Amino acid sequence: MLHPDTATTVLGAARAGGADFAELYAERWRRRLLRTIDGHVEEATSGIQHGVGLRLFFGHDVVYAYTNDLSDASLGELVASLVRLRGSGALDGAASPDAHGAGGLDLRRPGAGGLDPHAPEVAFEAHPKAWRLERLRELDAGARIDPAVHQVQARLLEWEQDVTIVNSEGTWVDDRRVRTRLVAQVIASDGAETQTGFHGPGLSVGLELFDRCPAADVGRRAAEQALVNLRAKKAPAGTMPVVIGNAFGGVIFHEALGHLLETTSVARNASALAGKLGERVASDVVTYVDDGTIAHAWGSSRFDDEAAPTERTVLIRGGILESYMVDRWGALKTGYRPTGSGRRQDYTYAPTSRMRNTFLEPGATPQAALFDGIELGLYAKVMGGGQVRPGSGEYNFAVNEGYLIRDGQVAEPVRGAMLVGKGPDTLRKVEAVAADLETAPGMCGSMSGSIPTEVGQPHVRVSEIVVGGEA
Amino acid sequence: MNVDQAKRWLLERAGERGVDLEVLATFERKLEIQADDGRVSDLTHATQGGVGLRVVADGRTGYASSEELTEDALAWALDEAIENAALQERAGAALPAGRPLGRHELVGEGLSAGIDAKGAAVTALERAVTGDARVQTMQVARYVEEETEVALGSTQGADGGYRNGYVGLMGVLVMREGESVKQGWDVEIGKEFHALDPGRTAQSMLDKVGRHLGARPLRTGRRRAVLEPDVVATLLGLFGYAISGKSLAEGTSRLAGRLGERIASELVTIVDDATRPDGLGSRPFDAEGAPSQRVVLVDRGVLRSFLHNSETARRTGQATTGHAARSYASTLGVAATNLVLEPGAGIPAGDGVIVTDLMGVHAGANPITGDVSVQAMGLEVVGGERSPVDDFAVSFNLFELLERVEAVGDDLTWFPKGAMIAAPSLALADLSFAGA
Repeated sequence: MLHPDTATTVLGAARAGGADFAELYAERWRRRLLRTIDGHVEEATSGIQHGVGLRLFFGHDVVYAYTNDLSDASLGELVASLVRLRGSGALDGAASPDAHGAGGLDLRRPGAGGLDPHAPEVAFEAHPKAWRLERLRELDAGARIDPAVHQVQARLLEWEQDVTIVNSEGTWVDDRRVRTRLVAQVIASDGAETQTGFHGPGLSVGLELFDRCPAADVGRRAAEQALVNLRAKKAPAGTMPVVIGNAFGGVIFHEALGHLLETTSVARNASALAGKLGERVASDVVTYVDDGTIAHAWGSSRFDDEAAPTERTVLIRGGILESYMVDRWGALKTGYRPTGSGRRQDYTYAPTSRMRNTFLEPGATPQAALFDGIELGLYAKVMGGGQVRPGSGEYNFAVNEGYLIRDGQVAEPVRGAMLVGKGPDTLRKVEAVAADLETAPGMCGSMSGSIPTEVGQPHVRVSEIVVGGEA
Repeated sequence: MNVDQAKRWLLERAGERGVDLEVLATFERKLEIQADDGRVSDLTHATQGGVGLRVVADGRTGYASSEELTEDALAWALDEAIENAALQERAGAALPAGRPLGRHELVGEGLSAGIDAKGAAVTALERAVTGDARVQTMQVARYVEEETEVALGSTQGADGGYRNGYVGLMGVLVMREGESVKQGWDVEIGKEFHALDPGRTAQSMLDKVGRHLGARPLRTGRRRAVLEPDVVATLLGLFGYAISGKSLAEGTSRLAGRLGERIASELVTIVDDATRPDGLGSRPFDAEGAPSQRVVLVDRGVLRSFLHNSETARRTGQATTGHAARSYASTLGVAATNLVLEPGAGIPAGDGVIVTDLMGVHAGANPITGDVSVQAMGLEVVGGERSPVDDFAVSFNLFELLERVEAVGDDLTWFPKGAMIAAPSLALADLSFAGA
């Protein structure tokens, strides 16, 4: 995508224009989407996204530009315009040219030629589109488990993203991220009520996703959820003990904790957990890890979007805060060790510190024991999405499949429950963690766009959370 | 190639291959300036463009897009679109008859100002916000401007385009008073740089976040509720799903089969008007060249129309309303432009809870069922006295809520929420609040 001479010329011009650091991020991304409703193709589309982002640091200030035009002339104009904007009266002090910057770069390529642990086993070219349509029809058939199943939507997303990242320190990284996701959405109706169910596994794999997650199972799980919700009563409102299910249940920690540990918030003193390294921030059963290296996980890649190798970062060990998630800018601003956490949706965003695959480590409590002693509580078996305001720590998220807990037993299903609270409070109320860690994919939206992240946890019990339901 | 050349190249190739093709080409320019510590810190400067293809072959529709405007990439996109069309077994689709659409200028010189003036606007915003001692940090203080050129062409003869744009100021801030910490954000947009008022925007942000400081938890119960315009606008955005001809055609609209029936209180009238001269969502024609119109969706509680493009209209046996929406990278959809819940006579004073903010609506609201259960912030009114409350959730069904509206405010306010949405306050006799 980029010629080394082009890259060195552009980065050199940036350094000559006074930038302390310069980085080019070039991207070519092929995507396909196939969507069926009741087995009929509703939408079929394919696209190429193609562009380059240029980021310059002047001290802690960041200037960013992007374009689809990757010609030498266009990139030359891009860097010149950034240096010019930077030098205009709008900014504090004109750029001071660095005579050393204009020289050639001695480019190093870490990891070049190495094995990609996330490489797909079944390439997208291995099967025609008609084969994909058959798989979506299997999903549809798998969801038809009850006459109340009213509509089945199936979606297949295929991403092939090639990136090249070059910076003024001479690092050159090529990375390929292949991701596939299969989503089922089922509407169930008994005439009076309508409810929905959802299941959407996704991994950094090719078409072997269908071997790992058989389409019929994906459809069946979404249908089961819709049917449970159909017979569910409205959730009660109030403050009560909550057992949160594993896998996507981890969204609670993603919202209530993960976002508060990104230097994007921490470095601007806009996180309720800023300045708390080494302090107790959660109960001692909480060990929380962000790991971008897990083979084929939805949020994995060999390198982050700033050319740093990804790593396994222990954020909280036994309730004590050990590390934040630190990108290049965050490291510069705070002095914390960078953790390979710089991510972005695509070239139209400058990277910021983001989560990769983030999960709560397994504990020792048997799953069944989590329910013991709860007179009235909520079992939030499958979570939906959520949101947090990192500055105040206020979070909320939806329960997609929930049950009441009565006298230590899982009882009748309830729907419409929402868990709300303040992250730092909730973290201290985590009483017990089971051993059944599972993970699930999601799309996380923040300052640098929408990115694939995995959340995960074993079953956990929280002593009390406000449950939003019907008063 | 530039986007215009790419459009022509594609239309020629489609002609050679005997398929009908519509090309939507857009080109965007964007500038963002961020302030920190009283000075301009970060800048983003961008251009982005691409072509979106809609192919109809043998009555079947397929899509593709490309930002890479080389012959190889465009040929790939055309092949993919034709292959995608062939996957469909449902035939009967057609591109709308095209016509010359003209070239339209919707923003004029509104964005013209020097970069120094734009930088000064955002530093003024930051200074005005951080001058308040309760502000712990202003995480984001940003000036944004965006200019878009849209060109549409088809083998059926559609040919035209327009240029649009906006400017805006936005901020994210954290405020503290004692132990109480609140975070919030706000944005103000317009078509004239010189109409931006950083002082006014700052005051609005401070009021919006600051009034929640010192909030105490709300007790669980059912109470009279007033939803502020921002909350109502969010709910109208959700209503946009049910009123969309696309949801109707796909069988996921709760309003299917209800045309002509009462679906809301007679105090509720909802209109979408793509022709409003003052509307930031206005445009001369929709994404497939149909003229813009004013459409009454709900007239005094009675459902009168859905929003349609030509495809959803054909599939549901209704008429298009000129609400086709599409970016080059997406497939043909339906979207509101300037969506308005008409203001009413005002809301009588009374005790209860004023709901000011809904959080996490993307997760806690189900547009298919209308079930909403989300975290909220508000002001409790007791004996006429207002005090902030938090740590609670509200839950209701959107469609039931619309039937139970007992008063509509006269405080119509516009919000950029994807579409431009204008809403007044709404009062409800009772609503379910879940708190401590």
